[in-house]
Amino acid sequence: MASANAWVGQSIKRKEDRRLLVGDGQYLPDIVLPRMVVMGLVRSIYAHAKITAIDTTQATALPGVRTALTGADVKHLGPVLSDMSTPNLPGETKRPLFWPLSIDEVKYVGDPLAVVVARDKYTLEDALELVDVEYDPLDIVLDPERALQPDAPRLYPDWGDNVLYHQHIPAGDPDAAFAQADLVVKERFRCHRTGGQPMETRGCLAMYNPGEGLTLWLTTQRPHIKRHLLAEYLNLPHSQMRVIMPKDMGGAFGTKAPLYREELLACHLAMKLRRPVKWVENRQESLMNVGQGRDQIHELELAVKKDGTILGLRDRILADCGDARTAIYVGFAMPFLGAMYLINGYDIPNVDIDLTCVVTNKACLTPSRAFGSFAGRFALDRAVELAARALEMDPVEIRLKNAIKTFPHVSAVGVHVDSGDFPGSFAKTCAALDYDNFRKEQSEAWQNGRYLGVGFSMGVEISGVPSEVLVPMERQPGFGVATVQFDAHGKVQVAEGDSPHGQGHETTIAQVVAGELGLSPEDIYVTYGDTHSGPFAAGTIGSRGASYTLSAAVLAARALRPKMANIAAHLLHIEAGEDDFVFRDGHAILTRDESQRVPIARIAEVALLSPTELPPGMEAGLEHTSHFEAETAGMHSCNVHAAQVEVFPDTGEYKIVRYVAVDDAGQPINPMVVRGQIHGGVAMGIGNACMEEFIYDENGQQLTTTLLDYHIPSSLDLPHIETIEHNVPSPHTPLGSKGKGEGTPGMVPAAVANALEDALQPLGVKITELPLTPERIWKLIQAAKEKE
Amino acid sequence: MKRSIGITINGEVYEETVDQRLLLVDFIREVAGLTGTHVGCSVEGRCGACTVILKGKAVKACLLLAVQADGASVLTIEGLARDDALHPIQAGFWEKHGLQCGFCTPGLLMTLYEFLQNPKHSDEEIRTAMSGVICRCTGYVHIVEAVKHAIATVEALSPQERKEWFPA
Repeated sequence: MASANAWVGQSIKRKEDRRLLVGDGQYLPDIVLPRMVVMGLVRSIYAHAKITAIDTTQATALPGVRTALTGADVKHLGPVLSDMSTPNLPGETKRPLFWPLSIDEVKYVGDPLAVVVARDKYTLEDALELVDVEYDPLDIVLDPERALQPDAPRLYPDWGDNVLYHQHIPAGDPDAAFAQADLVVKERFRCHRTGGQPMETRGCLAMYNPGEGLTLWLTTQRPHIKRHLLAEYLNLPHSQMRVIMPKDMGGAFGTKAPLYREELLACHLAMKLRRPVKWVENRQESLMNVGQGRDQIHELELAVKKDGTILGLRDRILADCGDARTAIYVGFAMPFLGAMYLINGYDIPNVDIDLTCVVTNKACLTPSRAFGSFAGRFALDRAVELAARALEMDPVEIRLKNAIKTFPHVSAVGVHVDSGDFPGSFAKTCAALDYDNFRKEQSEAWQNGRYLGVGFSMGVEISGVPSEVLVPMERQPGFGVATVQFDAHGKVQVAEGDSPHGQGHETTIAQVVAGELGLSPEDIYVTYGDTHSGPFAAGTIGSRGASYTLSAAVLAARALRPKMANIAAHLLHIEAGEDDFVFRDGHAILTRDESQRVPIARIAEVALLSPTELPPGMEAGLEHTSHFEAETAGMHSCNVHAAQVEVFPDTGEYKIVRYVAVDDAGQPINPMVVRGQIHGGVAMGIGNACMEEFIYDENGQQLTTTLLDYHIPSSLDLPHIETIEHNVPSPHTPLGSKGKGEGTPGMVPAAVANALEDALQPLGVKITELPLTPERIWKLIQAAKEKE
Repeated sequence: MKRSIGITINGEVYEETVDQRLLLVDFIREVAGLTGTHVGCSVEGRCGACTVILKGKAVKACLLLAVQADGASVLTIEGLARDDALHPIQAGFWEKHGLQCGFCTPGLLMTLYEFLQNPKHSDEEIRTAMSGVICRCTGYVHIVEAVKHAIATVEALSPQERKEWFPA
């Protein structure tokens, strides 16, 4: 779909950067209000314990401390989870009963059990130390398989077991598929606990007065959804509940999508104290509570024919959801979607997927970029690699044989994939790698005692989630929405209901609206984040920006053109309509006589400042709101990634020599921004797959509560990431654009693991577990040597 | 324990009686109100978002007490541009899309401000220079390009211009 939009495909500099480069960004911690106080949490130091006593008297006696509350003080607020804030998924679900603070019992290290409010954060730190808590430790369960055993300690005794969610997803005839197989690959894959962790931690600032109600500045990806749930929880009408994501937010990656207990506390305290209450999470709390994702075991079987055709798949998935006490996702929405996306870019007609989500004495899983699918993508692309090796087939050939070939495609489990081109993506990947030559180089290297390898992964990435999927899953809409509104100076405000925080909406939406209206991106300003001024929307999640929100902005801009044309025709004293004009260079230009033109600023002036000049009977104003819903149950981008590595077997260390990402952005709006999204996704994927891990010791103490222990990659840890475009425009968006970046990390673990295993072929190493630390690789090499 | 101190930030003197335990980063953010300097870790010095120039050197302001900077000059992100003209490193970041969420950007820019006074050119050297600041968004690829852009700009400066862009 060729686009007539002049600004589409232009790598212009971002509009949001000017303020961010000079220190003028406005992040949550930067906001200060008169009479503001600060809030902090006392958190459990045990993984599972009865609270036998809490004494806050010393803390509250400290000068500058305003109040301290415990679980008993907030019980009247009611349980956090409601129908609205619990996923509504097929399968058997149990719902943890909990309050903003834990009452009587704590279930993980970091569990909030008391809250203190003080005049400043130094006093607050002192006061938190003075809260005296007595515990009676209980038995703990940390291992998800142990959690399934009948005699395992229980997190929620009334459940009868530790199973939070169970779902069986069958399709086709898997038994027949396995009966016909020439080869069955059966393997257990373990993906560790890792995930988001943005550079800005969570935070909020709540302000209340009875006239205006509650205003909550919040680090959130979903201001409207949070407003909806907070209003429900606090029993406030929406008119009295306003959520504002500050102008800027230091990343989120999924972690700022749930509704958290701390937010409820800040709201309650602001109402109680009649003072603005601010909470800024510290990094230790953040590492204890958010960004803990993935964490799944897959017992995966593939039924494969001699020619490499995958006939069927069975997978028993066990997800460790931690304590399951965050609202909206409740720890199991991610593994559910991961299970639905397991077969992904492969066309596997017969499947039997059994998903069990258990609770353990760890922090609740939070969404993290590649929402639930990271572990499954690792497992399946590893299993395919093992099948290729067993059949002595090339890893590219087996993938091409089983990749989705015709579009639109509906997967065996019902995922709709609109468009893509795997053969084209593989061709570009192999060309970039000089693949045939690499194999020669590899053989020579082996002969010289060097271990070079290449690994591939392929898959589809969500490009927004439509209402058809989101409504039954989360009771929330998936549409994109934007209001395009001329101001009296002829500039255009685009109001969206999402909350971009690095994705570049201010630039890319400005580009498309400028293109639709014949203006320049400089003429467009994008506003967002405030539930009192932007349209109701699902939020910045699941690569919805370039797919849904941006498409709504395009439709809204287009909807203004007939009126603009009518005003122009009236001002030119001619009979003409939309089709007679083009909008270009800031003018409405009559196509049959280009000397006949009206400045668009003049049209806006008439519509807003000088409505007496409007055509008779025309309503004043020049604005439109559009809701975009794709006419399909799923849009996706189809991608191929490859890693090339050298392994040093004496130490298990390795170098990612090249990382090639061939990605499909449909029709990129700003290719530089798209590249940035892919770079970041790959970087997080490499960090998660190779370096990062949330580690709990045998007592459930979290050992990775500083950034020194939880190792987010630095500039020296990452390779240069090569990005190559292979775009197939979506037939379902007005410009063919697709969302990009959210799912990218899911491509990485299999690509790197496959490359490592490929390099070590002479040693016969098999990689089934993450993270891919040098220690793990070294141990695998040692084990392989011993076996010999 | 309180102490009266004076710190010059971006050429302006801030005099205040502060707790001895007040961190320099909190002095900058809360006393001077210069919120461009960010805090991304629990003052363990790893994230680097709080990096500022103190006495000509890039330092992590969360690892220093305000009283340690008494009488000294500090340059923060707010002091990099001159009027409306962006510093070469800021311009490089803008040109090459070296930032996404922008949270680590002030720390990176101040770290690279020091580096650019005597820049080295290989990717490895550029990556080494910035390794004290964590960026979670970009994968550093565009930042390396941004630094190269800035190096080219800085190397084309006259000695006088260079002095103006690197006062600290």
